[in-house]
Amino acid sequence: MKSISYIEILKENNRFAKMLPSKKYTVQVLSNISNAQLNEILEYTLRYEDVPAIVMSGDYDNIIQNSIKYNKSNLVIIFWELCNLLEGMQYKVDLFNDTDFTSILEKVVSEVDLIFNSLAETSCVLFNRFTGLHFANKAINKTRLEDLARQLNCYIDEHKPENVRTVDIDKILFSVGLEKSINLRYFYSARALYTVDYYKAYADYVKPIIMSTTGKAKKALIFDCDNTLWNGILGEDGFDKIEMSTDTTYGAIFSEIQSLALSLFKQGVLLGLCTKNNPDDVEQVLFDHPDMIIRDQHLAIKKVNWNNKVSNLNEISQELNIGLDSIVLVDDSLFEVNLIRNQLPEVKVLQVPEKLYEYPKMIRENMGLFYNRSATAEDKIRVSMYKQQAMRGSYKKQFENLEDYLISLEMEMIVFNDDKKLIPRIAQMSQKTNQFNLTTKRYTEGDINRLVGDHNALVMAISITDKYGDSGVTGLCIVKIDRQKGVSEIDTFLLSCRIIGRNIEFVFIDTVVNRLKSEGVITIVAKYIKTNKNQQVMDFYDDCSFKFISFDDSKRYYKLHISDYKPHDINYIKVSYGKTD
Amino acid sequence: MEKLIEERMREVISAVFNIPVNEIRTDASSDNIESWDSLKHMNMVSALEEEFLIEFDDKEIFELLNYELIKTIVLEKIEN
Repeated sequence: MKSISYIEILKENNRFAKMLPSKKYTVQVLSNISNAQLNEILEYTLRYEDVPAIVMSGDYDNIIQNSIKYNKSNLVIIFWELCNLLEGMQYKVDLFNDTDFTSILEKVVSEVDLIFNSLAETSCVLFNRFTGLHFANKAINKTRLEDLARQLNCYIDEHKPENVRTVDIDKILFSVGLEKSINLRYFYSARALYTVDYYKAYADYVKPIIMSTTGKAKKALIFDCDNTLWNGILGEDGFDKIEMSTDTTYGAIFSEIQSLALSLFKQGVLLGLCTKNNPDDVEQVLFDHPDMIIRDQHLAIKKVNWNNKVSNLNEISQELNIGLDSIVLVDDSLFEVNLIRNQLPEVKVLQVPEKLYEYPKMIRENMGLFYNRSATAEDKIRVSMYKQQAMRGSYKKQFENLEDYLISLEMEMIVFNDDKKLIPRIAQMSQKTNQFNLTTKRYTEGDINRLVGDHNALVMAISITDKYGDSGVTGLCIVKIDRQKGVSEIDTFLLSCRIIGRNIEFVFIDTVVNRLKSEGVITIVAKYIKTNKNQQVMDFYDDCSFKFISFDDSKRYYKLHISDYKPHDINYIKVSYGKTD
Repeated sequence: MEKLIEERMREVISAVFNIPVNEIRTDASSDNIESWDSLKHMNMVSALEEEFLIEFDDKEIFELLNYELIKTIVLEKIEN
């Protein structure tokens, strides 16, 4: 980002503007200063990553009122500066007596509460942490502005709801440098404070947080081995010569790399290997090398062979059931890096820097790609689920036909109807599921809460168990019913990629249709809304005896008279009903 | 020299206000460019400064009111 000039950003952003789809990602910046250059810079940063962002400024210094007015935005950014809390705050605060100080603190705290309240149902809120640094960097004693910032930040940390993420402004100021971040030229005339460099750094910093809420965070980190996970070439230097211990200069670097990877693993990122090596040699290192930090149990997938890396990465994407664009590959070979960039541009490739001491820094700077909004209980056990999936994959090969294999899994589908305890997970699925998703409607917890309570809406979630384990809650159907007309509409139908390819969708839709029948519904309407990722379900309703009605650019419309429905009669998946509370 | 600078200036104005270069008239100002508001004005200042490696002082910023004034002030700054 630093490398692209502001004028280039403006030009590119104008070019992107012509290609935006009709459905935009709306971002509202609410601030008590003017942030003229932020809008285009943030738009460009997000549009570059295929998020069709429209960034708008709220009314100047109207954060509280605007938080109600704009709470339907996809994202609200609270850009609140202490130095403009009141005119001249930066010097007045030092003249305050304790009562004045307490009263301004209490005022802001109650305003923060109001804002949290009005934005309770906004999908995502970024709240800039308060800072007193702007006017205090040369001050020897702590200034009162810093003290105010500290107390307010404490309050925010303790009281912020789930949908609010704080942005650590001090880190951004630090990375750009205070002198380069601030230009007081406009401060007294137009209440503007920051430079273009600062806004670029700000946009870069918040990008991963935003990407994760739009379902675009990376999911898997795949390593080459030689000179990537350890120093040296296993096949040539041998088991005893490769280095990854803090005892040697280069080993220390690889030890750090492995530790960084391990901490990503602990946050639910999938780790894997994709390397040209003899499988037995690598296994030996994974199990027996005393200096390895990454061990076999941390790896969700291993492609250790002499095939080309393009086909290996394609297999990784299939076997882990994640898109190629969810994969980050780290490799030291310029040849492999260029090959992948050329053949699989969706894969993010990081090349081990020539100056090895910059390698850990590079990994650290890219850890934000995997940023996860909220680690739910599901996330924590996800890795073991993916591992079970990979086991299932290898088991799959031994059966003559798929059905035999599916029968052997002893699957059971548990249906949860309008289950309040599942609201966070349901919202999360609607946010994260891209591939098996008929309409790709994104819902917040607030939205789901309303639907669960709505008599004219059904929210059906499913979890799948089989002899290998429990997939957790991994499927969702939302139906809206017009009881007077006997018509219902399937608003959402999605399955997590962990459970696709097992005919669960057919048993699930059978169950949904049955339920609607019992509710007295006569006709069901449904549609498929095309995205870049959900082609695989384009014909889903055709396969479920729905009648195809019409289509336009991005949608296919269907209708079903319930009496015409032909159930799939898949008897190897048992259906039962559950309740979490 | 002056021509070249004027061309670069037109590029900047085009990028900031998102209008094609050939539609920028020599009487362009906030009166006839719809998107020229106070925020976009600051964007223009930043873009001009970046393009010509100059820095306007706080008075000059508010004198950049139309095409001719921008041209005059930019040329003046570059010559100094």
